[in-house]
Amino acid sequence: MYPAVCVAGIGCICAAGDTLQQAVDSMLRAERHLGAAPIFATTHAEPYPVFPVKKELSHYAFSSAGMRYMRTANLGLEAAHQAIEQSGIDIEQLRTLKVGVCMGTTVGSSMDVEAFYADYRQGATPDMRPIDCFYNSNPAAVISTYFGFNGPQQTIVNACSSGTDAIGTAAMWLRNGCCDVVLAGGADELCRTTYNGFAALQISSPQPCSPFSAERSGLNLGEGAAVLVLARAEVIKQLALAQPYGYVLGYGSGSDGWHLTAPHPEGRGLQQAVHEAIADCADVSGRGVTLDRLAFVNTHGTGTKDNDRVEGLVLAQLLPKTPFHSTKGYTGHTLGAAGAIEAALTLEFLQRQQIPASAGFNVQDPAIALSPVTSNTSFTGNIALSESLAFGGNNAALILGIAEAS
Amino acid sequence: MSTESIKIAIEGVGCVGGFGCGHTAFVSALQQGYAKAQLEEKVHPDGSAFLPALLADTSRLTDFVARRALRRIDHYARMALLGGYLALEDAGVPSSACEKLGVIVASGYGATTTTINFLDSVIDNGDSYASPTNFSNSVHNVAAAYLSMQLQALGPSLTVSQFELSICAALQSAVCWLEQGRVDKVLIGAVDERNALLNDYCWQRSAASDGANTQIAPFDYRRQSAIAGEGAAFLLLSRRDDNTSCGNTPYGYITGLDSGRCTPAQLAADSTAADVLVLGADGQLATADSYSRLAADLGEVLPLVSCAPCYGSLPTGQAFDLIAAALMLRDQCVYGVAAGSKQLVNSPLRTISALKFAPDGQFGQITLSSQAGVYA
Amino acid sequence: MAKVEEIKEQLKVILIDDLNLDDITPEEIGDNDPLFGDGLGLDSLDAVEMAVIVQKHFGVEIKDMEEGRPALQSVQALANFIVDKQEKA
Repeated sequence: MYPAVCVAGIGCICAAGDTLQQAVDSMLRAERHLGAAPIFATTHAEPYPVFPVKKELSHYAFSSAGMRYMRTANLGLEAAHQAIEQSGIDIEQLRTLKVGVCMGTTVGSSMDVEAFYADYRQGATPDMRPIDCFYNSNPAAVISTYFGFNGPQQTIVNACSSGTDAIGTAAMWLRNGCCDVVLAGGADELCRTTYNGFAALQISSPQPCSPFSAERSGLNLGEGAAVLVLARAEVIKQLALAQPYGYVLGYGSGSDGWHLTAPHPEGRGLQQAVHEAIADCADVSGRGVTLDRLAFVNTHGTGTKDNDRVEGLVLAQLLPKTPFHSTKGYTGHTLGAAGAIEAALTLEFLQRQQIPASAGFNVQDPAIALSPVTSNTSFTGNIALSESLAFGGNNAALILGIAEAS
Repeated sequence: MSTESIKIAIEGVGCVGGFGCGHTAFVSALQQGYAKAQLEEKVHPDGSAFLPALLADTSRLTDFVARRALRRIDHYARMALLGGYLALEDAGVPSSACEKLGVIVASGYGATTTTINFLDSVIDNGDSYASPTNFSNSVHNVAAAYLSMQLQALGPSLTVSQFELSICAALQSAVCWLEQGRVDKVLIGAVDERNALLNDYCWQRSAASDGANTQIAPFDYRRQSAIAGEGAAFLLLSRRDDNTSCGNTPYGYITGLDSGRCTPAQLAADSTAADVLVLGADGQLATADSYSRLAADLGEVLPLVSCAPCYGSLPTGQAFDLIAAALMLRDQCVYGVAAGSKQLVNSPLRTISALKFAPDGQFGQITLSSQAGVYA
Repeated sequence: MAKVEEIKEQLKVILIDDLNLDDITPEEIGDNDPLFGDGLGLDSLDAVEMAVIVQKHFGVEIKDMEEGRPALQSVQALANFIVDKQEKA
């Protein structure tokens, strides 16, 4: 078993709120901040609702050539700023340490250059800035460069489990001693390619999504970012920081090896991920963690038929008595950012000893043995599970905790 | 780094690229000092000609995977599959014994051609006619997904995208997995696809490439001589501790991994412990300055080689350099194009470093040794 | 009826081309052979791809897989579905 990795600070921005506190406040008020249609043009007969970030993002421009970053990188920087500020670590002091950056994304590493490409096809000579922007916008590289860190950088592109995998990977780096501190999380923006792609797969819902509900008809895309400042306990002491906000206690992952877009019908990869995460961890006082100590589960819960059925099946087998919910009814599916945003939310829910209702749930699906919580639910306990399932069959799980009540 | 004495052994290598298929073909190209670029009689929509390129042929993949199973799998994922299967074959690991294998794939650009095909379907026909198959195949982790499915590798899987530092980043995680005993073996590799839009049209727009140039001149730092390459380079790594009964002799051990920012002078000082330094110089002007300053700081202290003329210029080229270094340790012979005319080579070869720069000056360095030492 | 026959032949060629079934010929696809599972071996990803294909080539929409499942059972079923929708349009 490994010692807990400390969370010194968290930043989070999504449709539910511009900060972690705002997002959780709005969820507990049962607010759903979705837009009926995206801001970009689309020729679908019916628009699909989306969960956009409304905050005007600071323009983190390169000093030369006025180059801007992709929106994904900007979202990541917003979250990173918040996280560093909340941690109370002086940036100059941080720069003297070996600081790694590990970020999950989907859009942030893709060539989303539709207008450029359309011009190119017509024989025009398009402006090169979208291409330069793509080269300059690797989320981990952007954060590391912007803050002047010297250490390993890694952008993980594991589709919808990227954010969870990024935080888990960062925890592994710290346990291995590769670096002193890691900024870990995920970022993704709304864009035409993913909007059209999910619609083509017929898994986008024309309604606000209804995770786990019988009438559910698919997901809504969202955007956002979350970053956690992670460090080992002795580094927290060395930096004379306040008690950590929380802890990453365990991480597990497993592959379905089944299908490109459909989860394994029995969720074998997810089962493996959860078991590995539990086996991997000890709580803050060094005791082993067992499934019955989990206060709640923040699920992947996208609102698609397949995902929710499989996740429900696994929960019924492993955690039939544990309250669970999906927060995607408040944030949308933020792809590479999802696992990170949900880890941030999970830690804040633990602090507040309350989880919000699973937004969009109406009626139990007879094919799913369990139902999520339908109202704000208080609990006792300081450990929770956050899980993600991804295209390509990646499954990832994080066991997160806060200090035990003294 | 870890204080545990852990051996990270390279058990097998597999590669496909402009030099052909397999490490024997790679060695031939390395001994020759280059691979022959292909010229395609094609033009871009604005009339500019295609540049020569070093392209990969994946026809050997059907030795490992049934043709029908490859139906929806694009060139990007096929290269990765072939690289992976070749590495397993080289290591003597049957593809039926991969249930607990970890899989890590690094890519600079991902599945570019399929991404472009998806844009084509939207531009040509409209938003409602976007191809769901193209979309699913355009996500970066599709190569790792197909490896996992074909091999029934149900362990952890990671796909990493960090441009020139991709393989270094991926190795960071692979080493963590092995050191922490998460898995005993990791199939790790890199794949990048040459795409006419990105590696040809955009290069010509940015860096005035000479269409008549057909070979990379890695140590001519004054001009752009890059030739686009593509391919996959995979390694099977295993965790060996003192009690492991040896089985096959590994190619070598990974004994050093570092990345970040460092002055060329400091890097030079850190590199002198190696017997050979494989530079990732690949004819790109954007990184020429970093390599030239490093070479100047190193002087004639140790042999500098580049292997890029044998596989081309691609973000994950360092994975090929890593395989070349492993082959050099195995064969006790220096491969690739040498920088200086007078190269003092230590005998026996014990330690080889591969160093790659990104355009912003960041570096990634991987060190292999024939003896396992404390990982540092 | 002639229309259905014509569409069946077109579908066989289109399926082979667009789904990359390059190891069979149109003549080898029986009108009533199951397209999914044990027949042609297509899967859920092919099903949504076929919805796009049918829309593109025949102007007919398969809104979701509730509608799609019966229509995509076989080439015959699909041809009937297409002609039916085209006549209603």
